[in-house]
Amino acid sequence: MEKKSFMKKLTGSREALLAVILVLLFVVITIISPSFLTFKSLTDMLKNNAVTMVMSLGMLCVMLVGGIDISIMSTLALTGMSIGMLLKYDHISSTFLAFVIALAIGIACGFLVGLVISRADVPPIIATMGFMYIYRAMGYLVSHNGEWASAAALGKFKDFATTKFLGMSLVIWVIIFCYAVFFVFMKWTTLGRRIYAVGSNPSAAEVSGINVKNIKLLVYTIMGLLAGLGGALQVSIYASAMPDMQQGGEMDVIAACVIGGVSMSGGRGTVLGALLGSLILATIAKALPLIPFFDQLWLNTIKGVIILVVVVVNIVLQRTADKNALKGREM
Amino acid sequence: MAGKSGRSINNVPKSPVKQMIFSWEGILVLLFIAVNIFCANFSEFYNLKSLLRQMPVYLAEIFLMLPMAYILVLGEIDISVGSIVCLSATMACIVSNTGAPFIVVILAALLVGTACGAVNAFVLTQFEELPPMIVTLATQIIFRGIAEIVLGNGGSISVTNTEGFSALGGKVGRIPYILFLVLILGIIAAVILGKCTFGRRVYAIGTNRLAAYYSGIHVQKIRFIIYTLMGTISGLCALFLISSSFGANTTTGNGFEMDAIAMAVFGGISSTGGKGNIVGGLISAFIIVCLRVGLGQRNIHPQVILLIIGVLLIGAVGLPNIVKEIQKKAKMAK
Amino acid sequence: MSEYVLELKGITKIFPGVKALNNVQFQLKPGEVHALMGENGAGKSTFIKVITGVHKAEEGEMYLFGQKVDFKGPKDAQEAGIAAVYQHPTSYPHLTVAENIFMGHEIKKNHMIQWKAMNEEANKLLKQLNADFDSTAEMGTLSVAQQQMVEIAKALSTNAKIVILDEPTASLTKRESEELYRIVDQLREKGVSIIFISHRFEDMYRLASRVTVFRDSQYIGTYDVDGITNADLIKAMVGREIKDLFPKPEVKIGDEMLRIEHLSRTGYFKDVSFNVHAGEIVGLTGLVGAGRTEVVESVCGITRPDEGKVYLEGKEVHIKQPSEAMEKGIILLPEDRQKEGLIMSWGLGRNVTLPTISKYAKKGFNDEKTERDLAKKLLEEVDTKAVDIFQPASSLSGGNQQKVVVAKALSQEMKVVIMDEPTKGVDVGAKAEIYAIMGDLAKKGYAIILISSEMPEILGMADRIVVMCNGRKTGELDRGEATQEMILELAMEKGTSGKGAAK
Repeated sequence: MEKKSFMKKLTGSREALLAVILVLLFVVITIISPSFLTFKSLTDMLKNNAVTMVMSLGMLCVMLVGGIDISIMSTLALTGMSIGMLLKYDHISSTFLAFVIALAIGIACGFLVGLVISRADVPPIIATMGFMYIYRAMGYLVSHNGEWASAAALGKFKDFATTKFLGMSLVIWVIIFCYAVFFVFMKWTTLGRRIYAVGSNPSAAEVSGINVKNIKLLVYTIMGLLAGLGGALQVSIYASAMPDMQQGGEMDVIAACVIGGVSMSGGRGTVLGALLGSLILATIAKALPLIPFFDQLWLNTIKGVIILVVVVVNIVLQRTADKNALKGREM
Repeated sequence: MAGKSGRSINNVPKSPVKQMIFSWEGILVLLFIAVNIFCANFSEFYNLKSLLRQMPVYLAEIFLMLPMAYILVLGEIDISVGSIVCLSATMACIVSNTGAPFIVVILAALLVGTACGAVNAFVLTQFEELPPMIVTLATQIIFRGIAEIVLGNGGSISVTNTEGFSALGGKVGRIPYILFLVLILGIIAAVILGKCTFGRRVYAIGTNRLAAYYSGIHVQKIRFIIYTLMGTISGLCALFLISSSFGANTTTGNGFEMDAIAMAVFGGISSTGGKGNIVGGLISAFIIVCLRVGLGQRNIHPQVILLIIGVLLIGAVGLPNIVKEIQKKAKMAK
Repeated sequence: MSEYVLELKGITKIFPGVKALNNVQFQLKPGEVHALMGENGAGKSTFIKVITGVHKAEEGEMYLFGQKVDFKGPKDAQEAGIAAVYQHPTSYPHLTVAENIFMGHEIKKNHMIQWKAMNEEANKLLKQLNADFDSTAEMGTLSVAQQQMVEIAKALSTNAKIVILDEPTASLTKRESEELYRIVDQLREKGVSIIFISHRFEDMYRLASRVTVFRDSQYIGTYDVDGITNADLIKAMVGREIKDLFPKPEVKIGDEMLRIEHLSRTGYFKDVSFNVHAGEIVGLTGLVGAGRTEVVESVCGITRPDEGKVYLEGKEVHIKQPSEAMEKGIILLPEDRQKEGLIMSWGLGRNVTLPTISKYAKKGFNDEKTERDLAKKLLEEVDTKAVDIFQPASSLSGGNQQKVVVAKALSQEMKVVIMDEPTKGVDVGAKAEIYAIMGDLAKKGYAIILISSEMPEILGMADRIVVMCNGRKTGELDRGEATQEMILELAMEKGTSGKGAAK
């Protein structure tokens, strides 16, 4: 009986289930390749996935209100390319200033997306598809038609990713900082809860006096901000900026959220879920080359299958739960 | 009991000519003319001859727009088509390199495409609660992933026996086969959607799925057919791609789904379902093709053309909404 | 200080094409429970929305505690101490009960939500209401009754002075209703004034001291509950003797068309059996949620029954899709016209011909000429008040929309027509017309199943009445023997042993 209630708790809480899966993954991979579970290996993994992890937070907000944003990696390329070129041509040299500019460009990009979606009523998929083209092309124009800003051109900026604080790269501290801020924001502030409210029942939110349009504008602006941050991180971690960076990467961010239990129709999803979702994806990517027979080539297929399985299992579980609930109804 | 009050209800439709002029298609036709005048002034090489010569590269994507229009009218979306094109192209190249007759290559491409489409269709009809966006996102990654596995570390394949594909890229006089095929399929798709029972039902599902179901329409059957056909047409698109590039790689068809959606939506087909028609989609597709050819002749980078498409897309969907909003406010003020 | 907590004078609200409220008035005394009654479409809901600031009235004045008020939006009304509990709770299904209660006025300290304090406070409120669930439960997992309790708790948490309950008992069981009565009593003792909308006389007698009646968007009168009889009240609501509303023709009952035997679907209904003959109207009634719609949906293949058999003209049929049901001659005209019955943005003609379009298509091509002619014929047959067949369904009134739904059934040869709440939200005049059409159909030999919650309608139109309660058939009455009291008794939650469980 006790076991059953434990199982129930486990399947009842999406996050607990994901955590168990993550731990199982860790155990299996460590058995196959003991070098996986070392501090260096793990921090490397986080560093390589910093961009996806940070941007999952923005996607969480967007998906909570029932939206989607596929323009984010274009925003990332535009911001990354902008600071790359500014550094390359010595317009700026301060790392701090570079970050500020990246964030500002990101916010502007996100704000514009939010305006088009909330004020002109363009469906999110169409609007962000348009901006995906527009921002990518702008990044390309900024790059003087395809120039790269390579490691040598970036100067001190690339040191950001290699600088350590308390034994960990600054990049990892950025991840921790973002998740901590969002954890508090989404759970403990009224604004965070408004985002949930709008996603859960927009018409009720309207009736209770929440400005739904502004909340939508807000989430896309947050998304833009994080895409700008992602741009700066990307340039710093890989020590180069090019206009086609992270093309198609938005799917990874969406995938992380979906695996983390964020619902596409809005209202459901947590910061913890987004964290676990992106960690699971990162772990699989890291572990695949370690496993015999599989190699990096299999990564995408496995990723896709996992997403498909996760959403289908979700539906099957939901259907059984509904059926069981009906059986309990007295007549 | 007929007509107790003797009321007579009019059933004579209004003149279609008037409706056509003031429709989105009318605007698109004007835009098409404007774009051509612009291109002709912009590039000295831009004329019918050069257009016909350079067009085929861009035409293959129009195939994808046709079934995508059906999916959008259903109020749904399929973002896996680019990956289906990639996988079909890869398989077609492999089959071709085994020395199989060209008809087998064609069948292989279509079959692989159809199978991929059927996978989407199966999942979406069995688990109808799932949003198409998320399912096709997963299959997008899977189909391209399989192509990556098949292609191995090189990541690309070339056809050794180019004879068949060259024939596919042939012309009648100056007009390439593919233009004929695009127009023929376009007309068929337009007629089925606009004039046939099947099309009417697709609109019904896209406007009100529940009411359509209660009215005795096989909603899931129709969805299955359309998603599967989307795959078949992707296979066709793959064949024509190979006929101009004679090979495939892991980025083949990248972003095609977005281009197809953009063509359809710019053509007035609403992504929320139930609105628009293939004619609009075709005109908008040709506007985009002409722009690409015209701007391309003066070495304008494709990215800039994408920027223009992006602006057009957002403007086409957003502006009418803003105008409506302003009109509503003006009415309220009165 | 005025005698009334809330007073409305000369309220007129116009929607495109209709006057939803025409010069109505209303007075609410402090600490009273005031019932608001009237038929569907009489304007009650619109009136409530004017009070809560959702709609803005074109004309009229509203006084709160003697002060003239002018609400710009729902938030103003909330801040002024007016809380509304709707029939379908307007809550956030993904959030917890505590959050739902405190949405908009969270307990905060240093801009941080104090979850612990909020949960405790919510639990306190729930305890006052005798709720059997915790404030950390997810709203979406609760039953409708529980969700309503949360809404009432929300009203308590804002210290509302006026609470509006919009048909709160409509989807509750008898026991749950009793619980609600107790809560309402409790609120009244606290000095809260309550406006109570209900179709059930039982609710009114149990709770209210005064009752105001609206009819056809107009104010009819306010009466003391102790001083008015049932019949007078019905007359005030309906505005005429009920008899002439129901032109039930005498029809010779023919052969059995549809027979349902021991049909069950887990969680929805159990062991339901009844039949219907050609030319007969069988009324299927019971409270909302008794499983009536679910039974006919299973018959039409919209859902699958777990057990039981369906016979059409004596032959067993297995129907898996609504389309199969239609091919065999059974059509369901669903309850929700806007979501299930019609495609609102489409023209009337296309709506009418949607189910049959393939029948006169030529090789898959639509024959638009035939289609238009047929649509005209059918729409005229049901006497739709429309100008042409191209105008969108949304431009019609509820009653005329219902006629279009009926026309859909006429577009092909049918044997059994199932009408689910055909007069819901339809004005009195159009109701009579729909009844007339129903009578004509019976005369033509259709077998008709009429699902309705409205007692007069069932008594007036049905040859036989099948009553359901809580997923089971609790009785079957003949036209001659049936009375309102008998039906109510069968429809209310009681032992399931009632007479004639299977005829």
